[in-house]
Amino acid sequence: MDSFEIKITHYIPYFMQSVVWPLLLWPCLQTVSIPLDCREDQGGVNRCPSISQEKLLDRVIQHAELIYRVSEESCSLFEEMFIPFELQLQRNQAGYTCITKALPIPSSRSEIQQISDKWLLHSVLMLVQSWIEPLVYLQTSLNLYDVAPNTLLNKTKWVSEKLISLEQGVVVLIKKMLDEGLLTTNSEQGLFHNDAQPEMLESVMRDYTSLSCFKKDAHKMETFLKLLKCRQTDKYNCA
Amino acid sequence: MSTPMGCGAMMKSVMEVLLLLMLFFTAHAKEKSYSPPEKPTQTRCRSPEKETFTCWWEPGSDGGLPTTYALYYRKENSETVYECPDYHTAGENSCFFNKNDTSIWVNYNISVVATNALGRAFSDPVDIDVVYIVEPNPPEKLTVAVMEDKGWPFLLVSWEPPHKADTRSGWITLIYELRVRLEEEEDDWEMHHAGQQKMFNIFSLRSGGEYLVEVRCKPDHGFWSEWSSTSYVKVPDYFHREKSMWILVAVFSALIFLILTWLLHMNSHSLKHCILPPVPGPKIKGFDNKLLKNGNSDEIFSALVVPNFPPASASKYEEMLVEYLEVYVPEEPELMLEESKDLLDGCLKSENSRSDSDSGRGSCDSHTLLMDKCGETKEEERQTNRESSLMETQGWKEEAINHDTSGKVKTWPSVYSPLPQYGSNPLDKQSSLETAKQHSLSTSSFLTQPGTKDALGPSYTDFCLSNKENHLHPQTLAHRALQTQSDVNISNIGCKRSPATEYVEVQRVNKEDMVLLQPVVSRCGHIEGCPNLPKGEDYSKVKGVDCDNRLLLQREGTGEDVCPCVDQETNGEGGNCYTSSTVSTTQKPTACMYTAMPLQEETALALNGYVDTATMGNLPSC
Repeated sequence: MDSFEIKITHYIPYFMQSVVWPLLLWPCLQTVSIPLDCREDQGGVNRCPSISQEKLLDRVIQHAELIYRVSEESCSLFEEMFIPFELQLQRNQAGYTCITKALPIPSSRSEIQQISDKWLLHSVLMLVQSWIEPLVYLQTSLNLYDVAPNTLLNKTKWVSEKLISLEQGVVVLIKKMLDEGLLTTNSEQGLFHNDAQPEMLESVMRDYTSLSCFKKDAHKMETFLKLLKCRQTDKYNCA
Repeated sequence: MSTPMGCGAMMKSVMEVLLLLMLFFTAHAKEKSYSPPEKPTQTRCRSPEKETFTCWWEPGSDGGLPTTYALYYRKENSETVYECPDYHTAGENSCFFNKNDTSIWVNYNISVVATNALGRAFSDPVDIDVVYIVEPNPPEKLTVAVMEDKGWPFLLVSWEPPHKADTRSGWITLIYELRVRLEEEEDDWEMHHAGQQKMFNIFSLRSGGEYLVEVRCKPDHGFWSEWSSTSYVKVPDYFHREKSMWILVAVFSALIFLILTWLLHMNSHSLKHCILPPVPGPKIKGFDNKLLKNGNSDEIFSALVVPNFPPASASKYEEMLVEYLEVYVPEEPELMLEESKDLLDGCLKSENSRSDSDSGRGSCDSHTLLMDKCGETKEEERQTNRESSLMETQGWKEEAINHDTSGKVKTWPSVYSPLPQYGSNPLDKQSSLETAKQHSLSTSSFLTQPGTKDALGPSYTDFCLSNKENHLHPQTLAHRALQTQSDVNISNIGCKRSPATEYVEVQRVNKEDMVLLQPVVSRCGHIEGCPNLPKGEDYSKVKGVDCDNRLLLQREGTGEDVCPCVDQETNGEGGNCYTSSTVSTTQKPTACMYTAMPLQEETALALNGYVDTATMGNLPSC
């Protein structure tokens, strides 16, 4: 018994050090990869770790930039593979319009310079929220293709994921900058309907149109956010 | 008769033919073909600031006729066709859309139409979106200045964004890039990405170089601008402080190295001794190493061979035997009996230099060498003495030779006798000192006398031992002195001449390591009237001291006679002595025995071992 006791006393500190603490602290190790989840609870307790507004805005802008780049790559990939040359230059001839056309977002520079910060942020949020579901649909549609390359599928998948985190960031930003509380939308259905199973050509065109429109809207988001950033003249120097 | 209908038909056909011919000819007469214009091509559309844009096209062949070009566009999801509002601002074959006509995030469908008299041609339509065709103007106001940072120069480059681009509101975000090269190196540009900042530092410049700097910009999603106008700058010559420091360091280290080398060279000898101490090698005293180098074996062997060593003849051995002891009486009042450890001091004092650093002192102690040296001196003395007509021996060194083959060093009192009164030869005039060395306590103590003692005849001598130089160790001396059986009867006082038969005994050893001798209270105060000499077992009677300072020992005989010849002792007159001695010899009247004999005939008293009795048989009888 003595030797056993001795062993216990000898090895307990080592055991604690190498096994117990890592287990207890395991969740903390994962904090790095946890996205910024600042959903407000019922009691209004803010579980987010505090982050400064400038840093948050910078991070959101980076997100938007990345999303735009990836969507641009996806679009060109799709163009190369599926769209014949003649139709590339005539995107609008098919009559497909972007789903976000109906949104009340500014479309010219003069308009943008006149609207307020609040509207800019809300516009961004609207854009983001309106594309979450269509991207999912696009993903499923692309998966139906026989020859869709994996890179294209991965990129679109990545974009849809990043868009969700972008939405969260914008919500927090709105809360911080505008002191408003917002509820995240849950799958707005009003914008997009697809009932019938279209033909192959039409689906291709539709997907292509979808990708193009998303690419443009991603650019819009990025531009709005950058404009918003430079509007904080006391914190940034965009000259 | 022809009918008039037939003529009319013929006329029509002829007219048609003529008409066709005319048309044909007219066509040929112009030498040129007109055609509708070729389809123009649209090259590009660019927007410098995302607010306006311009489209250019390339016209095709115009077909020989004046051709006009028109640009038409449609915005997305609208069927209204608009024509280009401005054909001139942007130059030839261009269309400029100003701010009012420019909508962003809107697809434009643009096509160009070429029209001439014969027809028109449509170009291929192009869909553009303004935000995707942004190519800004080059940056402006590029300035380059040479600054200094801790002695090192660098270029401070700064610029302004193109004046049309609205970066202040964030409408356009520009990133910059600059390039630098030396003037003499064409097409060897060094690129630097500057990001969104509008200034940049360039380091690592060549002293005295001329540099060219250019900068360009790009929107975050768009095309690179053209390179700005070149800015020239010359870097002044600057002194390489770092190099100068290294030069100083190198110079100092070289100096130190030189000094060290010089020191080493100066002290190389002592260093060699320190690091590699020389191994003392055996050296034969008196042997010249250069003889070995010469290689002459004869010389080598002759050098090795010491003259008179080993003694060639037995007679020489006999010569070395002690037959009598000649005593020198120094002039000093003191009577010092000394014993020196270094036997050789007395041996070689007069002539040879004692010092021989290589050989140890043992060489002196070695009896063989001792013999050699003493033999040398003896030889010299013999020669010198032979020169002198007189028999007196002025100076001689006396060493006791230890004939004991066991190698023990026996006592050997060494007696010097340069006697000024005898006109000592220059050989020994230095050695007025005598070193009496009594070492061991053998019963047989030998006294040598040089063979030069040709003087015969008994004479009385006083034995005086003095040593100016060395002092005995008191203990040893005392010890030895006490134990020594002095075989010599020594007169104790002041080297006086005393009668022959007188015993001397050691009184004491004073503090200065001097043995004080006193005459034994003898019954014989005079030599003359002392017929009965106490004849101890251990003593040898001193017959007398002749003028040559030789101690004449009485032969042990059967107490034959008193020696009347003793009366003839003279005091220090060489000639008389000699004559007296010779007289006594020739006379032979009595049975006087005297021990003043030439060396060959010397006798030793047949006593104990004080005197070698080897030659006893040769004693002539009186």
